Amino acid sequence: MLAKREDMILDELVSIVGKDNATAAKHIRYAYSYDLSFVKPKLPDYVVMATTVEQIQSIFRLANRDKIPVVPYTAGSNIGGLCIPEHGGILLDLKRMNKIIRIDTESHYAVIEPGVSHAQLAMELYKHNLRWSWPVGPPSASVSSNALCHGIGGMSGRYGLNSEEITSMEVVLPTGELVRVGSCAIQEDSWHSVLPLPQLDGLFKGWLGTSGVVTKMGVRVHPIPPILKVFTVSTRSIEDMTSYMVNLGNYEICDDLTAVSWWLSQVPIPYPYKPKPDAAPEWYCFGATNSWTQKEKEAREEIWQNVLDEEKKKGTSIEYADYPEEALKARTQLPSRIVGSTKNYTKMAGGGISWPGTFTPANKWAPVYNKWKEILIEHNLSPSVRATNYRGVHYGMLRAMIPFNKQSAEETENARHAIVECLKVDLDAGGIPYKPPVDFAAEINKRAHPGYLSLLKQVKKLLDPNDIMNTGKLGF
Amino acid sequence: MEWNIATLEELKDILWRCTACGNCKAAYNYGPPPEFGEICPAGAEFGFEGFMASKGKIAFARGILDGQLEWTDELLDAIYKCTVCAGCQNQCELDHKPFIPEIIEAMRRKAVQDGIGPMPTQKKIAQSMRSYNNPYQGPRRVRTDWTRPFKKAKKPIKDINKEPADILYYVGCTGAFNLPARGVPVATASLFQKLGLDFGILGENEICCGSTAMRIGDAEEFKRVAQSNLETFRMLHEERGVKTIVTSCAGCYRAIKKDYILSSEYDKMMDGIQVVHTVDLLNTLFKEGKLKFTGELPMKVTYHDPCHTGRHLTKFVIDKEGSQLWKGAYVGLNDEDCLYDVPREILRAIPGIELVEMERIRDNSYCCGGGGGVMTGYGDWAAKNASKRIEEGMQTGAEHMVSICPFCHYNLNEGSRRISSEMKLYDLVELLDQVISETDKA
Ligand SMILES: Cc1cc2nc3c(=O)[nH]c(=O)nc-3n(C[C@H](O)[C@H](O)[C@H](O)COP(=O)(O)OP(=O)(O)OC[C@H]3O[C@@H](n4cnc5c(N)ncnc54)[C@H](O)[C@@H]3O)c2cc1C
Ligand code: SF4
Ligand code: SF4
Repeated sequence: MLAKREDMILDELVSIVGKDNATAAKHIRYAYSYDLSFVKPKLPDYVVMATTVEQIQSIFRLANRDKIPVVPYTAGSNIGGLCIPEHGGILLDLKRMNKIIRIDTESHYAVIEPGVSHAQLAMELYKHNLRWSWPVGPPSASVSSNALCHGIGGMSGRYGLNSEEITSMEVVLPTGELVRVGSCAIQEDSWHSVLPLPQLDGLFKGWLGTSGVVTKMGVRVHPIPPILKVFTVSTRSIEDMTSYMVNLGNYEICDDLTAVSWWLSQVPIPYPYKPKPDAAPEWYCFGATNSWTQKEKEAREEIWQNVLDEEKKKGTSIEYADYPEEALKARTQLPSRIVGSTKNYTKMAGGGISWPGTFTPANKWAPVYNKWKEILIEHNLSPSVRATNYRGVHYGMLRAMIPFNKQSAEETENARHAIVECLKVDLDAGGIPYKPPVDFAAEINKRAHPGYLSLLKQVKKLLDPNDIMNTGKLGF
Repeated sequence: MEWNIATLEELKDILWRCTACGNCKAAYNYGPPPEFGEICPAGAEFGFEGFMASKGKIAFARGILDGQLEWTDELLDAIYKCTVCAGCQNQCELDHKPFIPEIIEAMRRKAVQDGIGPMPTQKKIAQSMRSYNNPYQGPRRVRTDWTRPFKKAKKPIKDINKEPADILYYVGCTGAFNLPARGVPVATASLFQKLGLDFGILGENEICCGSTAMRIGDAEEFKRVAQSNLETFRMLHEERGVKTIVTSCAGCYRAIKKDYILSSEYDKMMDGIQVVHTVDLLNTLFKEGKLKFTGELPMKVTYHDPCHTGRHLTKFVIDKEGSQLWKGAYVGLNDEDCLYDVPREILRAIPGIELVEMERIRDNSYCCGGGGGVMTGYGDWAAKNASKRIEEGMQTGAEHMVSICPFCHYNLNEGSRRISSEMKLYDLVELLDQVISETDKA
């Protein structure tokens, strides 16, 4: 009797990666079918663990031939359902490709494989007194996935997004072709920079695994100055906080300049909504600075004090504030298993977190936040919002972390509604969501310039003629 | 006797507390310096998320409960490919943290109840428990084979069935039946004699503590032997004056300390009896100045923390009523029962010994690979795991590895043989027995 089509594909996958690295067993597929977010679980048809670039190429040739969707996966901790296969297919687990290929201690960059986790890189970099812009996410999550998705870390205030720290990439295209972008494209062993060539790395950043599979990545790393000083203030309104953050942001002295609403400063976020005590300020801000010398630290303190004085003179509600200790640790002791294991975010709710995570310039924080607050409270959810400056004051982030009880379909749906509502408000104010689940992608596309959408589709078609990568994720 | 052993259904709400964040996949501490290491033997070997620590195991539990996963041989295999080492539990911070090993074992209990578990090779354990009261298919009389040298040397060990004693030395099946691990009871009894302790053994009347049965999901067998043991312990207290039960076996220790308390009668049966691990007892004597070293062991060693004398003894603070945080919240932990420092302190005190540490130690210790029924169910893989741990030990420059569990003793030595390593695993009592002589009687 002829084997079923599915079985033949499994056989082929097995012949590529070996029998222990490819499976169609339901329980394994089930373990990959869900994540923390509100996105509905969906099962892949196969789960494959690749260990070499050649294997990935062979998998793509097969997938391309039979038009089977492929979803790259490293730790699945993205909070956007990004690794949930909308149309089934092959779930390509890359965690076993976890070599740190090089740490260049002179030119300050590292070359890593996709499975290298934040925890793994942190340990190795520390040996050379080097650091990366660690996110507050799980230490087991992948450094390169984070960078590909425009991840945000503890140095984004100074250096921008983690995607801006990428220096070079090796990528397998959906056709199976191997390409390189950045300096490694010209010289095999040169990983220092994406400039001055045309920045083709943009073809793979922010696409959330829909345009290719990154198999090697160069990232800039930075020395660790020994003196940490964190400036903490509070305000009673988002308007006052924005004024302070824009003012301080001008001086570019902070590695991280972040404000959190009272609800997000709680560990964990109250679920369901709990009113803030009247006496408590509504916003807390911490500005983390790192200095090489005492004098450098003092200079930063002087700048900060001037800013504080100026803001006080304006008559705003700004005060020096003690930031809750656990929350402060969460911001400065990174990567952290305590924070990364979602304790801060969802512990009270039960299993679920999602977000409207957006890039929103500071002048829109107040109108958007005030509207988000109304929407979230209406849904009995805490307005646990974060605002962060990226790279001085050029742009910023506004994000609400929304926990929900995943055991209840109703409560999950309630969270989804609230989040999508919030997102629409932000999009209409000129913000853009990051790591967008399909719900968000649809809202983006509705508002997109026709020329942008058309270009996007053309590029996608060029890279992935058979639309096998993360099929359905782009919302068109 | 009622037993409060949770079913998978009863753990349903707690299961939904897992976020699938995946923190449990690797060991990590902030530092500085930051520390990272593999922690899940199953995940390290089999790779797919389903095998990875709790992220996968909890997915299975949810799937089984909501009917999306049906029993298949492969699912069963994945559930039993877990050493229940609790490494994943140590990383998690959510409210189900205290219950993670419980969830894994509850799945196994369900498998056994549904007539599908345990794994075929492990079914022999269940059969052996019923026929021989031990998991090794060992006839009763073999239980005392290890005592022969004592009889020969005219230093017989007291039979507590006949004579009273302060201490019951509960030998455990592994020490008694597993030939390579027999050095452990021999050294323990020898040491106790040299120290002049008033102890006795149950000999042929000793039965299994039930640990292995519990770990593979055979709750009925566990309850049967545990109830019988609790009755024996009560009788020994009342009729033989036993005040302390000592065991050199990490499995027995965990079972009596942590599984037996699930019995409604525990407090009543154990009133007036304390349960200690051999190293605890020796530590007390050491602190009282009664453990004196006459010999020297010029040896560089590293110490392996067994899961059952370490992480498994963590006590979790849970807000049961919801008065501090909310109902069922995991508040914090207390690891004062975990034997991390005690064995190290004793080791360091031995003249000549130099202790060098591996990277993964204490609560982040890497399992020897033999726990949770894996040694019986998947012997090859258990030894492979052990080889990895031995290699880690070798990287420290140590000549030998020391531990306090006969399971680790057997498995790590198997692992060492597998890679033709010179490194041998000694039980701490085996070393102590060499450096304490008769004249040191307390
Ligand atoms: C509690 C919590 C807090 C978090 N905080 C932060 C934070 O502060 N900042 C932040 O940036 N993130 C944060 N995150 C999100 C997430 O943890 C990080 O972005 C993480 O680095 C993602 O890595 P991952 O390995 O889980 O990626 P995955 O979820 O596995 O993948 C992410 C996306 O990348 C794609 N992908 C994966 N590998 C490849 C590849 N090799 N080539 C091409 N595409 C690929 C996937 O298909 C998917 O679309 C947080 C998450 C949690 C749970
Ligand atoms: S068990 Fe804990 S650490 Fe592991 S995925 Fe679940 S919540 Fe995260
Ligand atoms: S108990 Fe140990 S082997 Fe089992 S899932 Fe957890 S870490 Fe892995």
